[in-house]
Amino acid sequence: MSFSSSVVQLRSGNQMMAEGAIQAGCKFFAGYPITPATGIFKTMIDLLPANAGVALSAPDEISAIAYCIGASMRGFKTMTATSGPGWSLMIESVQYALMTETPLVVALVQRLGPSTGGATQGGQGDVLLAEFCTSGGYTLPVLCPTNAKECFELTILAFTWSEILRMPVILLSDKETGMTVESIDYSTLSNATSQNRPSNFAFRDYGEFQKEQRKGTYYIDALQEIPTFAPVGGDRKVTATGSAHDKQGKLQKNSPETIDMLIHLEEKLRWRHDDFSLVNMDLQESAKTLVISYGITSRAAKDAVGAARNVGHAVSSLVIQSLFPIPVKKLAQALDGIERVVVVEENMHGLYRSVLERYCNGQRVQGVNKIGAMITPKEILNAILG
Amino acid sequence: MKLPPITNGFEIVYKKPDTLTDTPMHYCPGCGHGVVHRVLMEVVDEMKIQDKTIGVAPVGCSVFAYNYMNVDMQEAAHGRATAVATGIKRVLPDRFVFTYQGDGDLAAIGTGETVHTVNRGENILIVFINNGVYGMTGGQMAPTTLLGMKTTTSPYGREAASAGFPLKITNLITQLPGALYVTRQAVHEPNAVRRLKKAVRLAFEYQLLKKGTCFIEVVSNCPSGWKMTPQESNKWMEENMFPMYPLGDLKVPSQTMN
Repeated sequence: MSFSSSVVQLRSGNQMMAEGAIQAGCKFFAGYPITPATGIFKTMIDLLPANAGVALSAPDEISAIAYCIGASMRGFKTMTATSGPGWSLMIESVQYALMTETPLVVALVQRLGPSTGGATQGGQGDVLLAEFCTSGGYTLPVLCPTNAKECFELTILAFTWSEILRMPVILLSDKETGMTVESIDYSTLSNATSQNRPSNFAFRDYGEFQKEQRKGTYYIDALQEIPTFAPVGGDRKVTATGSAHDKQGKLQKNSPETIDMLIHLEEKLRWRHDDFSLVNMDLQESAKTLVISYGITSRAAKDAVGAARNVGHAVSSLVIQSLFPIPVKKLAQALDGIERVVVVEENMHGLYRSVLERYCNGQRVQGVNKIGAMITPKEILNAILG
Repeated sequence: MKLPPITNGFEIVYKKPDTLTDTPMHYCPGCGHGVVHRVLMEVVDEMKIQDKTIGVAPVGCSVFAYNYMNVDMQEAAHGRATAVATGIKRVLPDRFVFTYQGDGDLAAIGTGETVHTVNRGENILIVFINNGVYGMTGGQMAPTTLLGMKTTTSPYGREAASAGFPLKITNLITQLPGALYVTRQAVHEPNAVRRLKKAVRLAFEYQLLKKGTCFIEVVSNCPSGWKMTPQESNKWMEENMFPMYPLGDLKVPSQTMN
């Protein structure tokens, strides 16, 4: 893959997500036009065929994600991209992917909601809609980039997470991060690709694999294990259903094994919780205030933290890239010695703050919130100093 | 005695319909939307049904239709215009209900709603603007995009092998018994506009019959999405769109009501 001989290029976050996906080994993309996510769709249409992949236009978001699931069931790394209204339509199939343990990356480039909302107005209002979109409230990994370079890096990581966990992973971007064009120095980008799902492709002894797989499409010995992937259209029968199922992949109502499999869907991530956390910590030892931010607002927060320190006010900063699962250990580390937590997010009443609050024991938690415009460094600074 | 309005010594023989607002339109220069809006509101004026007309616009370039058409207007979720219109018409059967949808809305994400609304023979008018691209999001390939036509998501031209064929959804729904009146019109020249107006008038009047769905496709242009001047786009439309989407009636009530 080569993009240009020049090392520094102007790229949007959306373009970098597409390029990251291609470097991660994504070979299948389906999309439907929606501002502000169309740039990912467009870039994949431009780049994927030349990289031995398939890029499809779907008649709606419901089809787009279902195309991806079908391709992923064959073993392809797949991705789709949308914004709030399209995400709403995709939720049924996101749950299907979770239930059938089908790896999938969905880029959700947020805009102002609800409903059609503001197509060209940014926002961070889909945080909980992204995470809590499943019946049963299963934990879905949600990665949130703050700039175009992180769009590239976190996309590769999203593929790795979705592959090794065998579940959908959400890349939660926003209009400003996705559509702002920034300088990208390609020489600083990682050459890493993404990991692959545990599959029969990787099995050394195919006979051994077959023996194990005879036990069922979703055979596991312990709840936290990831079942070995077998592709559809391969040399053994694969059974997958969005209904509650046993280890064979067969529909069951509430047999003990079926309930185990439902618990397994949560347990496989919960058990590996600490491996799936990513933050940027900038802590000051004497600080009594911690600013927590994510996505586009973390860039204003960074400015505000710098300005506060310039006037002699000690303050710590925690930028969370893995919003879910909540990086509990790193959060606890950042909260050490802190008396007051300021959570900055571009939504009405602090969506992520509402889930962080229970991890803040003894600290006063306050929000800096706004809709319809980006939060400014000054507004955050006022909260830090106030 | 009421005198005819006089302006600077000239009698007004042609003016903006009263039901079209004074709001400057956001549509791109040369776009067909403005003309279709006008035709719809001229008919509403002539039939004196402003207070009895309810429109449903979808997601797409016509999201702002309520700014221009001075009748009750709802913007529905993407693809769901005829479904919302169904709900309105079922509880207000004496009103004139129309939807105003683009090809992405009606023939892609809303295909299911379109087929089932016509199949139920809902007594509404569906106005379908077909310009072969997604205009609002910047000119992506739509189901109606012609083979070989370049869009941002078919940069080398649409290929049937990977993207299928242009969807003639108007022909498809013509086959449904619920379709009362189906016609395909255009607004690229004065004669075409007059023919469209006749069709719209008929379609509004047919709603009183309660015999089924009226469906008017307007083959239109998208100078911005097609990357052409307005004149070029009209010429291109005549040469390329009309052979695929030929103008004229596909179904008229006499065939249905025998």
